[in-house]
Amino acid sequence: MSASLRIARATGAVASLPARAIEPLMAGLQKAIGIKKMPWFFLLPNLLAVILFSLLPVFVNIFYSFTGSDRLYPSQRPFIGTYNYETLLDCGNYLDPSTCSRDLFWRALGNSLVFVPTQVAAMIGIALLTAICLNGNIRGRGFFRGVFFFPVMLSPVVVALTWQWILQRTGVLNGILTNLGFEPVNWLVYANSAFFWSVFVTVWAHMGFYTIILLAGLQAIPRDVYEAAKMDSASHWRAFTRITLPLLKPVLLVVFILAVIRSVQTFDELYVLTGGGPGSATLLMVQYIYEIGFAVQPRNFGLAAAASLLLGIVLLIFTLVQLRISRGSSNG
Amino acid sequence: MANLVLENITKSFGLVEVIPSINLEITDGEFVVFVGPSGCGKSTLLRLIAGLEDASSGDIRIDGESVINVPAADRGVAMVFQSYALYPHMTVRENLSFGLENIRMPKGEIEQRVSKAAALLQIEQLLERRPKQLSGGQRQRVAIGRAITRDPKIFLFDEPLSNLDAELRVLMRVEITSLHQRLGNTMIYVTHDQIEAMTMADKIVVLRGGRIEQVGAPLELYNKPLNTFVAGFIGSPRMNFVQTKVVENSEAGITLSGEGLPNLTLPVQGLPLPAGAAATLGIRPEHLVPSADGWPLKVTLAEQHGASSYLHCMTPNGTPILVHEPGQSRLRSGDILHVSPAAGEWHLFDEEGLRVEPSGP
Repeated sequence: MSASLRIARATGAVASLPARAIEPLMAGLQKAIGIKKMPWFFLLPNLLAVILFSLLPVFVNIFYSFTGSDRLYPSQRPFIGTYNYETLLDCGNYLDPSTCSRDLFWRALGNSLVFVPTQVAAMIGIALLTAICLNGNIRGRGFFRGVFFFPVMLSPVVVALTWQWILQRTGVLNGILTNLGFEPVNWLVYANSAFFWSVFVTVWAHMGFYTIILLAGLQAIPRDVYEAAKMDSASHWRAFTRITLPLLKPVLLVVFILAVIRSVQTFDELYVLTGGGPGSATLLMVQYIYEIGFAVQPRNFGLAAAASLLLGIVLLIFTLVQLRISRGSSNG
Repeated sequence: MANLVLENITKSFGLVEVIPSINLEITDGEFVVFVGPSGCGKSTLLRLIAGLEDASSGDIRIDGESVINVPAADRGVAMVFQSYALYPHMTVRENLSFGLENIRMPKGEIEQRVSKAAALLQIEQLLERRPKQLSGGQRQRVAIGRAITRDPKIFLFDEPLSNLDAELRVLMRVEITSLHQRLGNTMIYVTHDQIEAMTMADKIVVLRGGRIEQVGAPLELYNKPLNTFVAGFIGSPRMNFVQTKVVENSEAGITLSGEGLPNLTLPVQGLPLPAGAAATLGIRPEHLVPSADGWPLKVTLAEQHGASSYLHCMTPNGTPILVHEPGQSRLRSGDILHVSPAAGEWHLFDEEGLRVEPSGP
């Protein structure tokens, strides 16, 4: 036997050692519980993680939303029925948050209802445009792909601090404006401009992710279909609306759902950038939940839990509608 | 109905010259096949005619008018792609009508053209289906239908049958040929399959390395190939080549020797090959006939096709020679077979591989 062959056999034997050690154990287990139950055994680690970190918190959340006081331990929390929900929904006029007993909840909800559609529309529009540009034959394509993806890798706090540095009264943007002869603007002090920059910064931070997904979708469309369209007298616009968009629809749908969920969850960037202000102009749902649950004394876990459940229900309805639409399109 | 002229067409991708220079004239109503091995530039040439690629220089004229600066859609040509390139999200009907909607043709006329094309190709019952729900052959028909609805002057086919199985390929070959007979349009067809070229073409253009090797009717190319490349490419199975040296070139004919074979005298006068010159003798498998004083060849494999047999043989020097025998051969591997070329059925090529013909009358 040659030396190399002997080494190969020896390493093979060592490599298969764990397998050989575990085999009798597995065989015994299979005999004990039956082959049909074996998949559950392999799923167990992941199932435990899901139960412990996803399902259990949901039930704890439901429990908290029906109990009161600022105590953390469930045994010390008195049952108060739907009081938390009644408090949240107690409103003189639903269109006027100041008539509600928890007016910030309604302001945050209103802000989210404007923020999410605006941000998602801007996000997908800009990401699609960027993806189309990057899909073309431009110089330095790889470089630009990297540039647009880069912000995605940054920590949200870094993103927020960077933009705060740009947007503050004595920031970079005002420095440039002053040099060009314009009056400096206190961007984050006015409600409308703060809201605009909230949308802008979050789009800037996450756009690269959606651009990459859309770019992959664009590249999956065969080139010869476009050539056939060219032979078929299709203008660029018609090729875009009649070929690109329909063929990109499944990818767009995924991007849309991800973007909406991400947008509803927006918290960290704005918490650092605007703190929800000025006033409550950029206060979104998740920040509201965080603040009444953990920041404001006394901590009102029950109310926060109720608010998060209401948000969860809204998201659930939205997801169901999405599923409906996506099934409809894949069938049609 | 149109004739097409390519004048000094060249095409380079960056520094790579794909087509050095091509001149070609295709007359109205002809079925022309571009044939050649992979990378010979045949598809590029077709895409240049279609307007999907821009020529580096030269001119393309359709019916006398230069179309070199005319966009693909306005050249009056329609293309059938190798992959069919059907719009996957549209029904067959929408696939056929998309091009007509783009030029804002009235609805009634679109419907009329679509149903006419569908009837011609017998795909009426498929009109509401999506490409995904069609078989390869049906997709092929839809792709051809899409070209027909545009009523082009010239049809361009880019290896349209290469994705079909062998049986369907034969069927579609016949269908495309009969379609050409019914429509009468000029058609240009690209393939690497010389059988498709032989069976379908009025005129074959053999390409290699972006150059035209020979243009002619199928049998012209078969009977009088201009060089060893065309001789080897056209005809199936391919022609046998034997490297020889001229021993004597006299009134009695030309005597060749080579490959450890006995000298062979061909009764032809006036060939411009002096004694001592190298020459390649080309003989098709079907033109090697048994003769007692012919070349002794050793059979290495006898392929029985039923109606005929192909004997894979070897010269004493080891050059493989294929011999066609009508009917079912009794020869087995290891047997010795004596053959010589049938009268007049041989081709001689000089050192450069160019055909040598007797000079003078």
